[in-house]
Amino acid sequence: MRVNPIEDIQNAFQSLKTTKTRTLLTITGVAIGVACITTVLSLSSGVTQLVSGQVAELGGNIAVVRPGAPNNDATILTGAISQQQYVTSSITEQDFIDISKLDSVESAAPIMVVNGNAKHDNTPVKDSVIVATTPALAAISQLPIRDGQFIDSVTNTDTAVIGSQLSIDLFGTDQSIGQRFTIHGQRFTVIGILKNTNNPINFNNIDFNHAAIISLESGKSFNQGISQIQQINVRAKDAKTLSPMIEQVTGTLTKNHYDDHDFTVLTGDAIAQPTSHFFSAVAGVMTAIAAVSLIVGGIGIMNIMLVGVAERTREIGLRKSVGASNGNIVWQFMIESLIISIIGGVVGYVAGYGIAFAISTMVTFNPAFTWQTALIALGTSVAVGLVFGIYPALRAAKKDPIEALRQYH
Amino acid sequence: MTKAKAIPVIELRNLTKHYGLGDATRHALDGVDLTIDKGEFISIMGPSGCGKTTLLNILGLLDRSNDGEYILDGKSVERFSGARHARIRSQQIGIIFQSFNLINRLNVIENVALPLTYKGVPRTKRLKMASDILKNFHLSEREYYMPWQLSGGQMQRVAIARALVNEPSIVLADEPTGNLDSKSSHIIMQELSDLHKRGNTIIMVTHNPDLTTYASRVIHMLDGQIASDTKTPLVLEKKHEKIPLSSRSKTKATPKKPAVKKERKKVKKK
Repeated sequence: MRVNPIEDIQNAFQSLKTTKTRTLLTITGVAIGVACITTVLSLSSGVTQLVSGQVAELGGNIAVVRPGAPNNDATILTGAISQQQYVTSSITEQDFIDISKLDSVESAAPIMVVNGNAKHDNTPVKDSVIVATTPALAAISQLPIRDGQFIDSVTNTDTAVIGSQLSIDLFGTDQSIGQRFTIHGQRFTVIGILKNTNNPINFNNIDFNHAAIISLESGKSFNQGISQIQQINVRAKDAKTLSPMIEQVTGTLTKNHYDDHDFTVLTGDAIAQPTSHFFSAVAGVMTAIAAVSLIVGGIGIMNIMLVGVAERTREIGLRKSVGASNGNIVWQFMIESLIISIIGGVVGYVAGYGIAFAISTMVTFNPAFTWQTALIALGTSVAVGLVFGIYPALRAAKKDPIEALRQYH
Repeated sequence: MTKAKAIPVIELRNLTKHYGLGDATRHALDGVDLTIDKGEFISIMGPSGCGKTTLLNILGLLDRSNDGEYILDGKSVERFSGARHARIRSQQIGIIFQSFNLINRLNVIENVALPLTYKGVPRTKRLKMASDILKNFHLSEREYYMPWQLSGGQMQRVAIARALVNEPSIVLADEPTGNLDSKSSHIIMQELSDLHKRGNTIIMVTHNPDLTTYASRVIHMLDGQIASDTKTPLVLEKKHEKIPLSSRSKTKATPKKPAVKKERKKVKKK
């Protein structure tokens, strides 16, 4: 005869209440594991959301061309991705020029990151980023100018727009228009300062607070006159023309590259992916660690359930003698272990977000609330309860009622 | 006791149970044939190791025989699945143990209601039924006591109430007074004989020859076989002094209600 599951649950709570300390400790074990997973997942999805949010904010009509063939996400964990930073970019200035000329393209801007530091009074600023680009970048990436102006077609090649933090690092003030600094010995005059934006993680992979933006011509001069384009940001006339534009861009590049697909055109969330690659790698490792702690938590459940089964041998015998089937007994103990693991899961989920928010005060992004994270937290805790609860439950059900009743307390 | 002797409650045919293998084989039951009719109060006697507890376990479907046939209410239950046995235990059999076997973390009424859980009776109805039956045993005031707060006799009365709550066709008792002093034993036996008078079939295993005077039929077992089987006239009325109900609990004695209503009429006619 089937027992109403609500009764099973009431009964399980009642028996768990009699062993409070033990139950709480076991719940803590599961909660720690789930908290780890929740923290990692919420932070890593926070990063992804941040970048894709930026892309969406820009109007949903941005595409990005990056060198290198489209690669599988999995290679991030196994492949030698760092090598790509040293290979010569497959995107040429000609590609940029051709893309700019396409009729579906409203504007396009190349990003060439120059190796080197900005220097003032012979003290280099270590974390400065030298970006060579064209005036269109300001509009496409929506770089807000606080003072002065962005580089444009008429400004000299020895002028630069710098981020507000770089200005402070170089000159000790964020009012530095007209000041001069050097890159590889070449002097640049500050003609504009960017507004301080608190998003070092963005689809350009550049922290503009620390950037010195110079013209593409100047950038090339540091590289024997050849451009090294890491990325071309392309903007369609509007969101509707984005996909025909991508086709055109792909067609042009394929022709330029003699049918070699050594470039990638990305839109929407895909743009955010390379940025979050690092985070997903970290998240992968952290999740593996969390999984280990979940297994430990699960073994805790199994341990405690086995103790419970041993202690309640007589109860099991009695229940059987008054009509409980093996199935009833299995359920009774399974529900107990499920309650432990689910409470552990919920507590861990909440605690995980607590930890994630604590961490987010130290980094520049916030944890994201996604239903996937909640589902994974709940799913893993249920799975732990099932996997580690089934053996004690089966053992309980297998007890011979005569033997069980003969055992005295 | 009934004219229609058509279906005995229990029929055992050449029931055999042995433990161990080869030379070490020990026959706990060695070809037991037994027919038990409805309404009998059977007392099984015998020295330790004669197989009486094994017999009771098999009757209660807690154990299976190696050979022979066990027919319960006209159905051979030998080859039934474990789940089916559980269902029969739940619906047709009530067991009373020597050591009471109440669940310590459940209070009296929950202990009594426990068998109904496995019959699928909803909680409220279950507690109502348990409460009703506890009234019969003068334990209404103890409903929310925990088992350890009761005396041995009270615990055994709770256990009997539990065995009866699902209106079983047979009640099995394994030395129900084994852990009790003589006064409590007497009260418990009084309860059992009251049950018997209301038409319940009771099979009791005991060591104590005094207790057989309550039974309508006494079976002596020896080495796994039935040595003697005597039907005794009901002598308990003469032999045993009635213990006033008021001494069983502090409640005012209330007229007893039958545990099983249908069967009361038959008893009355008799």
